[in-house]
Amino acid sequence: MDIFLQQIVNGLTIGSLYALVALGYTMVYGVMRLINFAHGDLVALSAFVGLTVYTQIFGEGITSLVAVIAVFMFTAAIIAVVGVLLERLAYRPLRTAPRLSAVVSALGAGLVIQNAVMLIWGPNMKIFPSEIFPSTIWEIGGIVVTFTQVMILGISAMLMVTLFFFINRTKMGTAIRAVAIDQDAAKLMGINVNRIIMVIFIIGSALGAVAGLFIGAYYRGITFDMGWMYGLNAFVAAIMGGIGNIPGAMLGGLLLGLFNAMITGYISSQWAETFTFILLIVILVFRPTGILGETVAEKV
Amino acid sequence: MSEYILEIKHVSKYFHGLVAINDLSMKVKKGQIYGIIGPNGAGKTTLFNCITGIYTPEEGQILWKGKEIKGTTPFKIAELGILRTFQTIRLFAEMSVAENIMSGRHIKSKQKWYNGIIHTPAYYKDEKENWEKVGELMDFFNLSEYATIPAGDLSYGIQRRIEMARALAAEPELLILDEPAAGLNENETLELTQTILKIQAMGVTIMMIEHDMEMVMSLTEYITVINFGARISAGLPAFVQDDPVVVEAYIGSDEEDEHE
Amino acid sequence: MMTKTSMIALVLLIFMGFFPMFVDSAWLAVGTTFLVFSVVAFSQDIILGRAGVFHMGHALFFGLGAYTTAILNVQFGWPILATWAPSVLIPMVCAFLLAGPIIHLKGDYLLVATIGFNIIFIQILENDVFGLTGGPNGIFGIDIVRLFGIQFASQTYMYYMAFILLGITLFIMRNLDKSKFGRAMFYINKDEIAAQSMGISIRYYKLYAFILGAGIAGAAGSMFSVQYSAVSPEAFNVTQSIMFFTIVLVGGSASLPGVLIGTFIMFVLPEVFREFATARYLVFGLAMILTMILRPRGIWPVKFGNIPSFLKKDVK
Repeated sequence: MDIFLQQIVNGLTIGSLYALVALGYTMVYGVMRLINFAHGDLVALSAFVGLTVYTQIFGEGITSLVAVIAVFMFTAAIIAVVGVLLERLAYRPLRTAPRLSAVVSALGAGLVIQNAVMLIWGPNMKIFPSEIFPSTIWEIGGIVVTFTQVMILGISAMLMVTLFFFINRTKMGTAIRAVAIDQDAAKLMGINVNRIIMVIFIIGSALGAVAGLFIGAYYRGITFDMGWMYGLNAFVAAIMGGIGNIPGAMLGGLLLGLFNAMITGYISSQWAETFTFILLIVILVFRPTGILGETVAEKV
Repeated sequence: MSEYILEIKHVSKYFHGLVAINDLSMKVKKGQIYGIIGPNGAGKTTLFNCITGIYTPEEGQILWKGKEIKGTTPFKIAELGILRTFQTIRLFAEMSVAENIMSGRHIKSKQKWYNGIIHTPAYYKDEKENWEKVGELMDFFNLSEYATIPAGDLSYGIQRRIEMARALAAEPELLILDEPAAGLNENETLELTQTILKIQAMGVTIMMIEHDMEMVMSLTEYITVINFGARISAGLPAFVQDDPVVVEAYIGSDEEDEHE
Repeated sequence: MMTKTSMIALVLLIFMGFFPMFVDSAWLAVGTTFLVFSVVAFSQDIILGRAGVFHMGHALFFGLGAYTTAILNVQFGWPILATWAPSVLIPMVCAFLLAGPIIHLKGDYLLVATIGFNIIFIQILENDVFGLTGGPNGIFGIDIVRLFGIQFASQTYMYYMAFILLGITLFIMRNLDKSKFGRAMFYINKDEIAAQSMGISIRYYKLYAFILGAGIAGAAGSMFSVQYSAVSPEAFNVTQSIMFFTIVLVGGSASLPGVLIGTFIMFVLPEVFREFATARYLVFGLAMILTMILRPRGIWPVKFGNIPSFLKKDVK
């Protein structure tokens, strides 16, 4: 029973991270019908940028809340800019091209970011500073919860709720939904589609950046190629939930996190990915467009 | 066996709880040209999609030569001899005109599974016969000069002809035409009328949706008028034309949007 | 009279035929692998470029062929020649069993499912499930081809065997394109609803593409395992699948010259620039983006309109 509850806490933590990253995939997909394969590498980039920002600018050993918040804000801003540049340079020129051309461009962009990280920070694993969050640990009935986990759960939940209200309650959110449904019609209604896409990339990249920093803080070891693994899991989460669907990405992320934790806890981490994909394929066989995804019938 | 090749009995189709076709019935005789008219959004194309298997109606029966075909997949419907054209032209735009028409020969081709890997004398014979048939159809529809040109690069009127040639290449028993004259000029419409009569003379039964009243009245032998998914009138063209219900439906629906 | 394309093809054929005479053994091995990868790329192109299925797990079938030969030869002592048939047939059967339940999925959903199959395959190999795959290190000491007492051991033999395999593959590709099966794949690729309405079963032809592509990839895998006399999981991981996927799209979907160009760019060029090891993939990524922007349909896009000449008589 203890293992079970412990794995639920761990699963929700990693699930929140997947969900944050999955939101980036799903929002871009919703508007552009593009799998942004470079998104995972943005997450990895964020961890490295955060590392540099923290050690170089604020100096090591600083644990003040203000400094930590500043690291998060500053890194998220940098990654958002990279995300916007990515869209401008690699995706916008291909908006009318065959869909798979943009996929190849995304794969290329992923290679560029990944190798840039390797050239700048080196091919070896870097250790994320431990003191960024206090090392407080709570023990509740045999379950261990760390401060970092609480931060991840709390901040992720806050970001997701904010995003949900932003998408559903604000004028900009309505415009985003309109563009997702029909770009041409949205354009005719006076919505600036380019601006919406920019906003999508800013939000998606910033959420990914926060996830990247949390990954650094939680797992400590960061490598230039880790974006692939986190990206893939998050992408699977987005697909499970129904890609293009924002609550679907949140649900998919949490579900996958929990499922992963249970497999690691009870079976073996060696088979984690196998079980992940078996779950995915089973879901898709019964719900071809994911759990919350809608089947859009083609007009004939 | 009844004299009717296609019988639609009390068919209803819903989308998200909204009724698109409401208890619709009609019977098409072999060799007939059957017209379906009605205001935009009345459910005409939805009916065609139900017949060709793209949609499965929730209620009712669709009988092809007395046998239920409701819920049959589209490709099997085509194999049964029911072929169609589309209101919004759906050609294989990047492929040449000849290759587009060749797609209609698919169900007639007798190539075996291994002919995709290795060719046999039977393959060569079959391939030649099918391309010859494509040649005949291109002659019939005056398309020979465009044989190698990508279908998507040609004008609207020519594309409509390619679509009909493609459907006819499958040697259908029932040809379903969804607004064949839409977007055509007067000359092209006249030509189309002649073509449709020639197709009928080959023994093909034809069902068509058309807004060009002059053409419908001159071509069809029987008409069903649909509004809001239900039949509001049916009969010979002359009868339907003067039916006050029909006149009312058309005048009352001027404001309706295209929604099919 | 020869067309420009067939002229280029002839020159290329002669060059490739005499290639082993000009180069050292290291480059000969690169040449052989180029031929093998071209075969895999063509088989990927049947599924992706022709049937239009977003398949990003093709290294699975390549690997299945390679491991079939390796396991039958090393663990069970079969001669290499005897492993050829199973190394083609096992991937075909697996393609049918794996693709069957997911073939109805829409583009991107299918893409991630195929990535999934590939990843599961790698985990099975690495965890050495049946004690046959050798775990993360793979299997060493695969035999050479022996026939009538001749030992086809040298790299030159390997090269010409791969050359013949590519020849057979091109022969199949040509036959496919000129048959109702190849055409049906194109029709489905361009417009599924129109294709169905012409009586074409989407499921049948997508599965046909998958099974045929898997068989050809399996043959290439067998060749690959003999060339290196070893197999290991990382040669067949998702990164490899992404490479085959990219080869097709960079070169030009469904275009025979396109796929060869794609394989050259994605495999041979990185070998040429091996000295710049650290920076090359950065440049490579940039090149992928740039290629797609400048040539969205690939470097050498497919041309349709390959119809019998008697139908062209009226074309102005």
